[in-house]
Amino acid sequence: MKAFRLERQLDLDPRRAALYRILGALCALLLGALVLVATGRNPVWILGQAIDAIFSRQRGIEGVALRATPILMTALSVALCLRLRIWNIGAGGQFLAGAFAAVGVGINLDAPGWVVLFAMAAAGTLAGAAWILVPALARAYWGVNEIITTLLLNFVAVQLAAWAALGFWRDEEAFAIQSTKSIEDTLPGIPGTESLSIALFFPLVIAGVLWWVFRSTRAGYEIDMIGGNPKAAAFAGINVPRRMVAVMLVTGAIAGLGGMIQLAGSPGAQQLNAGFGAQYGLSGFIVATIAAGSFLGLVVAGFLIAAMFFAGLILQTRGLSVYIILALYGIILIGVAVGEIAARFRLVRADLDIAPPESP
Amino acid sequence: MIFALVESALLSLVKVAIPASTVVVLAALGVMLSERVGVLNLGQEGLIGIGAVYAVIAATEWGVTSPWVSMLVGIIAAALAGAIFAVVVVVFRANQVLAGLAMAIGGIGLSNQLGTNRNGTPVTTLFSEVNPGGKFTSNAVLETFLFHDPVVYIAYIVLPAAFWFLLFRTRHGMNMRAVGENPAAADAAGVSVLWARFGYTVAGSALAGAGGAYMVLSFTPTWAPDIARGRGWVALAVVIFGAWRPFRVVAGALLYGAMISLGMTAQARNWNLPFLGPRDLSFFLSMIPYLVTIVAILIPAGAARFGRRIRSTSAPGGLAVPYSREER
Repeated sequence: MKAFRLERQLDLDPRRAALYRILGALCALLLGALVLVATGRNPVWILGQAIDAIFSRQRGIEGVALRATPILMTALSVALCLRLRIWNIGAGGQFLAGAFAAVGVGINLDAPGWVVLFAMAAAGTLAGAAWILVPALARAYWGVNEIITTLLLNFVAVQLAAWAALGFWRDEEAFAIQSTKSIEDTLPGIPGTESLSIALFFPLVIAGVLWWVFRSTRAGYEIDMIGGNPKAAAFAGINVPRRMVAVMLVTGAIAGLGGMIQLAGSPGAQQLNAGFGAQYGLSGFIVATIAAGSFLGLVVAGFLIAAMFFAGLILQTRGLSVYIILALYGIILIGVAVGEIAARFRLVRADLDIAPPESP
Repeated sequence: MIFALVESALLSLVKVAIPASTVVVLAALGVMLSERVGVLNLGQEGLIGIGAVYAVIAATEWGVTSPWVSMLVGIIAAALAGAIFAVVVVVFRANQVLAGLAMAIGGIGLSNQLGTNRNGTPVTTLFSEVNPGGKFTSNAVLETFLFHDPVVYIAYIVLPAAFWFLLFRTRHGMNMRAVGENPAAADAAGVSVLWARFGYTVAGSALAGAGGAYMVLSFTPTWAPDIARGRGWVALAVVIFGAWRPFRVVAGALLYGAMISLGMTAQARNWNLPFLGPRDLSFFLSMIPYLVTIVAILIPAGAARFGRRIRSTSAPGGLAVPYSREER
């Protein structure tokens, strides 16, 4: 008698893992479409509207690129940390801390434009790194779970941004909008586009550099080794805690720089308020987990999620709420999480008459 | 004289803080249950939203007149959502962080979507406060503690006491803790890791739903988008602060509530401290619960590093680690 049975795979082919993740997300989307049909909406029409919104005009494509930039920055931050098997759930907070420091420099420093921009970038990078310093030290030297500490600091960052917007850096002239004063100097635009600035190149360059670091440098190899087995890495002579702190500080710095380039490079985002970049931390997290360690896959996933975001905004004006998009996000993430596990199993047809091998 | 003044200020603070923290207490006790068996459920924010929106739907559209029944509807809805999460992380053994964030995002989206046409609809079938009689109003202390909803007493006294007894005085509770600390050992001893984790994840989600339902049936009392407003994340923090012990968790939630109400009091009474205006003070105070929690996590870890053992405040050993018998 033959029967189907799930068999566990001992080693996991990364391509197979990626395929199953994508399959999981697609199945989830299909499920979401069914829910939409069940509630009396037409998913094909929605998809058509979304594609139309993105590709029919130049503004659509630019809109996606504009939203992809901050998402990619936080995603890179999370993804780099994941190489160590460490969860940086605080990328959103580091992003805000970077924007906070950058706006502080931008509205208070009186200097030529490029000097101000460089100072802002430096401040944002340092602030992002500073925001993860305590979780990094605690994790590396005391073994304190980083999920909780980085998560908690997000809320502190939101409070700090709200404080700045309503308190000490408040724009007194604007009555309706509660935000800080605006910065004057912005990043140069990309010629031939309406709204894009050189901010777009930051995540692309960083993704390229990280890809190279992990492909062909000793540092990248050592980081992967720590991620694989910290004890073995320590035995091989790597100073694990020090490396860990260094990498985590870099992840904070990337997210912090993301906050700065969002502030100085995205049209209409030149002041800080409590809602600044609220969704980028979570989106970056989603992108990083879908990409699962591949920096080039991350760029693709980042643009995909940004396209969903943008389509959501456009669909809102055409009668669909942004909340449905959020609910779909949740379903997709569940699909990815299940796909991740499904990749480890294989359906085999086996003869039940043969007794399974005795375990030693 | 000054003592009486401080006392009255403190009491009015507590009087505001108690109902304000009830949502956090309920959700945090649920988080504690599921974390005690080793499941990290980051989806609290979404579960609170789901509990709240279904309670609102029951109370305003289905014509449910009893707040208890409306709350039950919210609890069941959140428990169902929690069951989906439990299937994904306990049965399929998916990544708990990822699935938990999915629950948070998806739950917020779903509840906001369901609540779209119900923004600002007042809920009229509310919990009424316990009234032990007029003679207690004369005493300020008794008045502070005795005139709240019955849910408040369930959240602050009945549930933590029951959970304390369950966890530390019953064999079942010992098994629960074993599942959370070392699932392989518990499995070897004949405890079903799967059922313990599944059951308490669903139970924990139900408590978050109760918290959400309480919000709309007593505290706000109306639906508003993003109803949890970060309370779900606070609940997760409070459990760490409370070292996974029921009454300490409640104390942590009260600390959070006290800081928030102190901030509101500062704004209402226009307190001016050197360098800190009333508004600044309230922002600063709202950061404190998070910072205190971080410090509370760091102290025992640091003490252990320097060779001193503080009574265990660390997380259950198997927290957020999927358990599968084959990988033992």
